[in-house]
Amino acid sequence: MGRRRRRRVDPADAARALPEAIAVLTRTLPTGPSPETFRRAKFDRPEAAPALWRLLFCVLSPMPADGASPSLALEAQARSVKAALRFQGYPRRALAQLPDDGSQGGRELLLALAWLLARGPTLEQLLAQSRVRLGDEMPVCECESLASPGPAVPSVEADGCVDTRHLQWLMGKLRFRWRKLMASQQEQCALLGKIHSYTRGCHSDRSLGHLSVTETELLRDPEGGQQVRAGGTKVGLLQRLERENVRLEAALEWRRRELVFWQWMDTVLGACPPEASQPAFLPEIPAQGAAELELVVRELQALQEELQAAVEPRRAAWEARVGGHGPEWSASRRALQEAVRQDLVALQWAWERGGGLTQPHEPHRLVRTEAGAPEGRGLQATEVIEVLRSREACLEVVLGQLQGQCQQELARLVGTLPGLIWIPPPGR
Amino acid sequence: MSIVTVQLGQCGNQIGFEVFDALFSDSHCPQKFCSKRENEAYQASCKERFFSEEEDGVPVARAVLVDMEPKVINQTLSKAAHSGRWKYGQHSHLCQKQGSGNNWAYGYSVHGPRHEESIMNLIQKEVEKCDSLSGFFIVMSMAGGTGSGLGAFLTQNLQDQYSNSLKMNQIIWPYGTGEVIVQNYNSILTLSHLYRSSDALLVHENDAVHKICAKLMNIKQISFRDINQVLAHQLGSVFQPTYSGEGSFHYRRNPLGDLMEDLVPHPEFKMLGVRNIPQMSENSLAYSTFTWAGLLKHLRQMLISNAKMEEGIDWQVRPPLSGLPTLGKMPLSKELHFNTSIANLVILRGKDVHSADLGAFKDPALYTSWLEPVTAFNVWKTQRAFSKYEKSAALVSNSQSLVKPLDMIVGKAWNMFASKAYLHQYTKFGIEEEDFLDGFALLEQVIASYSNL
Repeated sequence: MGRRRRRRVDPADAARALPEAIAVLTRTLPTGPSPETFRRAKFDRPEAAPALWRLLFCVLSPMPADGASPSLALEAQARSVKAALRFQGYPRRALAQLPDDGSQGGRELLLALAWLLARGPTLEQLLAQSRVRLGDEMPVCECESLASPGPAVPSVEADGCVDTRHLQWLMGKLRFRWRKLMASQQEQCALLGKIHSYTRGCHSDRSLGHLSVTETELLRDPEGGQQVRAGGTKVGLLQRLERENVRLEAALEWRRRELVFWQWMDTVLGACPPEASQPAFLPEIPAQGAAELELVVRELQALQEELQAAVEPRRAAWEARVGGHGPEWSASRRALQEAVRQDLVALQWAWERGGGLTQPHEPHRLVRTEAGAPEGRGLQATEVIEVLRSREACLEVVLGQLQGQCQQELARLVGTLPGLIWIPPPGR
Repeated sequence: MSIVTVQLGQCGNQIGFEVFDALFSDSHCPQKFCSKRENEAYQASCKERFFSEEEDGVPVARAVLVDMEPKVINQTLSKAAHSGRWKYGQHSHLCQKQGSGNNWAYGYSVHGPRHEESIMNLIQKEVEKCDSLSGFFIVMSMAGGTGSGLGAFLTQNLQDQYSNSLKMNQIIWPYGTGEVIVQNYNSILTLSHLYRSSDALLVHENDAVHKICAKLMNIKQISFRDINQVLAHQLGSVFQPTYSGEGSFHYRRNPLGDLMEDLVPHPEFKMLGVRNIPQMSENSLAYSTFTWAGLLKHLRQMLISNAKMEEGIDWQVRPPLSGLPTLGKMPLSKELHFNTSIANLVILRGKDVHSADLGAFKDPALYTSWLEPVTAFNVWKTQRAFSKYEKSAALVSNSQSLVKPLDMIVGKAWNMFASKAYLHQYTKFGIEEEDFLDGFALLEQVIASYSNL
């Protein structure tokens, strides 16, 4: 065995290793500042701060699928970053104390970025989020739409009288839109079905078997197909795939080179002034929020008192009516309790069943298989439909209850107005 | 998105034929001011909506024909087939050997249930041919026998079976001096039933269309065919393709849905009328030129003075001045001069359509107090001209214009009802006095609602 020759590290290579590693990292991230910015940030130079605020904003806020995010001002981005880090439990107080205008804090931001990269598969998550989706994506549950409530609706102050005809008009418009939406969705299904059956056998992946709309478009018009706004310009599908490839390759390379980055981050941490021992980091409630919170708390207390007041006499009355002791009574009481317990179990089961899908909740690719073909991986449409139907049934019951309550309330209100005759509309 | 048309009775079938013919002719009319690509998109959109394709390449109308006697249906089928341009489906019709003697109750209580299954099967077959169903047209007369009673029954059925699809009834309002003695009874029953189960009632008044034929089209001997063609022209100029929005050059996918959302979301106000301009025959077109300003000015005045023709418009009628207290309930004895609208839809087709100025239609004085013009007024456009009309405009409005005719019919029917004349024809087949009373009550409510705008 000969002497193993130790590879002598060329000092020039060593010097290059760090900026190259950072460059690779930047290629992986959605918007990457240059290695020079990172270097300046270590020394807390103010010019580095805005780029890093923007980078953290991109990393922390989920990007919408089509890349069409409204561009926020730096200040708004900075506030958002602070809130998101607080939410994730970021421990360093110094970052929270940075000014909102985004003018300072390069070093703290670097540390925050490193913290995010270190604590979890951040890069992988980012890549998964912005993945180019080639299939016909179909949502299987409502979680996503429930989580993002959509644009804020301006609350309309109704001073004076509101013409109910106007309300009826709006309600009718809503109903028509709903029906139009249903028709559109049926159309989409019919057309998807056509594409899927026409392209049977065209897909290289046998388990899929047919092409999706995106894939068909890609074959038909590689350059121009599926234009989407990304970074201010319209980008075709092919280009998006190419960009994604670049990022994926960079991610792989990052894994090989990241050690030198972490060694450098140690020095960044060392360069920070020592932080005084800090108390537990509590989120602060902004001033206006406090007043609203007070209001809500008071309303909750009032509601609770009201409930207590309602419950006590009812319980007493029930006890009085049912009252009595003895074996017969305790037996019937046990039977009642058992019945209630079973109802609750059934309710819970129905809820879990209704909400319980064994597969993850993200959108799934829609694939059409031939009847009699072996069951592939993934959800069966029939299963999803069943779950949605049971959900629908639950919601219908709730709707019925709410409508009943509404009617009772209306009847009560009508009763208080003398001389008013209320003719309910003919049943739909 | 496709529309399936149900043609009922003599009236419905004759009109239905003219409508499909007008749509087809327009979409194949050679165009001077339109690019080839745009014209092809227009044709494709019209074709998908109203026709399906069969193997021999001849477009087949998306229609079901129903009549209780065979004569009219056979005529209609052969007329279409002989044209060689389009046709009806071979098996898309149902006809029986007997009529119904203008008896609404017979149509509703006997023909309806008896043929319900066959008719719904025919409709189902048409629906299955569509990639997506926008809704139904039901073309029928209001006062006749088969069309009206059967139509009311059928619309209810469609409501039950296709509750998510849209339904628009094209109703032919009879001549004031019609021949059928019980036409007012039939009208009451038809309207009240349709009001409950249909989404929109687009009313075509025979009297009005007749006048248009006489005055403007210079037709000496007016036949039903002439009337039906004018009617078809009006419908075509409403439902042929238009751009989906301001600045868009894609054709809207669901005009029926958009129209309903814009005009009839309120359940008490479902009655629509249509006006169009210019109303001259195609032959006279070569000698006239139009400006959008002129067309729109006339159209607006037609609306507010409740005129159906572009000639003889009463230019004295003006919108009430703002600042004056809004008039409350107008007693019907006083003649309604100014026609208040709830909502309007203007459809412009032709050259330089984007330069048309519609400001005058956005005047709040035209509309009722509880809707702003931005909601109440809508406009659809396309550069592609309709047939040979270089510029043309149509107006679909939900307004007070039908209050007076409706009130007249209700009045006459009530007078007959008070003396119980001819009721046995109805009670014999299960339509009781209560049904009449329900009908009167509903229509009085409609009249009151419209009068109180």
